[in-house]
Formats: sequence, structure tokens, C-alpha cells
Amino acid sequence: MKAMPTLEGGLRIDAENFNDWGMLRSIIGDANGCGIDLASRLGGLISQEAGAEDWEEYVVPDLREGFQDELAQVGAAIESAIFNADAGPGPLWISREDVYPWYSALNQARLAIEEQFHFGPSETMDPADLTPKRRAGFMRSQFYGAIQSLLLEHVMK
Amino acid sequence: MAGTDTLTRTDETTALDVPWSVIVHDDPVNLMGYVTLVIMKIFGYDEKKAAILMMQVHRQGRSIVWSGGREKAEFYTQQLQAHQLKTSLEKAS
Repeated sequence: MKAMPTLEGGLRIDAENFNDWGMLRSIIGDANGCGIDLASRLGGLISQEAGAEDWEEYVVPDLREGFQDELAQVGAAIESAIFNADAGPGPLWISREDVYPWYSALNQARLAIEEQFHFGPSETMDPADLTPKRRAGFMRSQFYGAIQSLLLEHVMK
Repeated sequence: MAGTDTLTRTDETTALDVPWSVIVHDDPVNLMGYVTLVIMKIFGYDEKKAAILMMQVHRQGRSIVWSGGREKAEFYTQQLQAHQLKTSLEKAS
């Protein structure tokens, strides 16, 4: 898989085979894979004094809907790219207009992986010490983080 | 039994509204550049100020990024959470 900035200010990701598409599909699977959803985890940071019950009732549902909309948009873009490439080599385009949903989806996936495996700061992690399942999670998280860095550096700034 | 009158007295006092603080907490996932970008975007801070606040989050585990009226503090907290930053709301001490 290759990723590069485009002249229009977006990012192009070239999948080289079906496995690459599977890696991109896993963004959505990982983001949805955590037992407690992100909106509730964020809402849980609001204390009783600050109005936790109202936050849970009025704000968390909006957050949840927003996060799900972003995942749906990114999932549809991935499936469309796979269809157009006939699941073989082909490009996936992330335009400047779509960058925030993409960044969000990747972040949701990384947050869910962290919630599941508790890796902590990645610089202290040696993948060789991990079980195969944890290593796979760690590598996916690193891949998503690398795409996020490219988006941040070349598209969002 | 003699009738009784009820006297009602109203005291009016004025007190300053307690300020609230919007606090961003550290987490091992959000990229430092992203945290800086979101703080700039939401509060309109320049990059230098946003980067200082981001480094406070990174080094001290949390940073007060804004203080003021409750309603606006709630709005900012919601915006930061929508950008997936771990954010809480506390009465300013």
C-alpha cells in the first residue's frame, strides 16, 4: 500500500491487493469493536456537579450520532473504492473536504484498540513481546496513526 | 382568636457567577499536532498558545484551556469531545 499527497490538497492511498483493502476495511471494524462506545466514554468524564445526567441525556446521543455518521461516510468511501477497483489494485481518494470524517474514523479505531489492549505510549512498546492478537492490534493502530499523520501534515494544516 | 397578618420580606442579593474551567486530559492516542490544531480551531488561539496548552496536556496530564461562563464552557466541552479529545468541565477554583 502506498499513500501520497495530491495536487488538490488531499491524500491518495493506493491499495495493491485484496489484503490492503481488508486493512482499510478494518478501520470500521476496529472503531465499532469496543464494548463501550466512544461517546459514552467521553460523556463519562463529566462529573455530577457539572451535570453528568443532562450530558448523558442531551449531549452524548449527538456525539454518538456524529461519530457513527463519520464511520458510515468513511465505510461507504472504502466500499466504493473496492468496488471500482474490483477488489484489486486501485486508488482511494481522501479530499480536503472529507478529511475530518477520515481523521475521526481512524481516531475512533485507534481509541477502541487502545481501550481493548491498553498499549500506552507506542515508543515504549516492542511488538516482538506481544501475543499475535495484541501484535496485530498494535500494527493496525500504528498503520492508522501513520495515515493520520499524513492527513495532519498534508491535508488538515 | 385574633387574626394574624403575614409579612413577606424579599432580600435581593447579587453575586458573581462562578466561572467554569474546560479541561483537556492526556491520552495515549491523540496526536500532539491534532490536539494543537483542535485547540486553535475551537478557541481561535494562535499556534504558539495552542502548542503551549497541548504541551501542558502532554506533560502534566491535563490543561485548563478556557475558563468563563457555564453555558459557553459547556459549548466548548461539547466541541472538544466531538473532536474526540478527553475533556471535562470543572468549577474554577
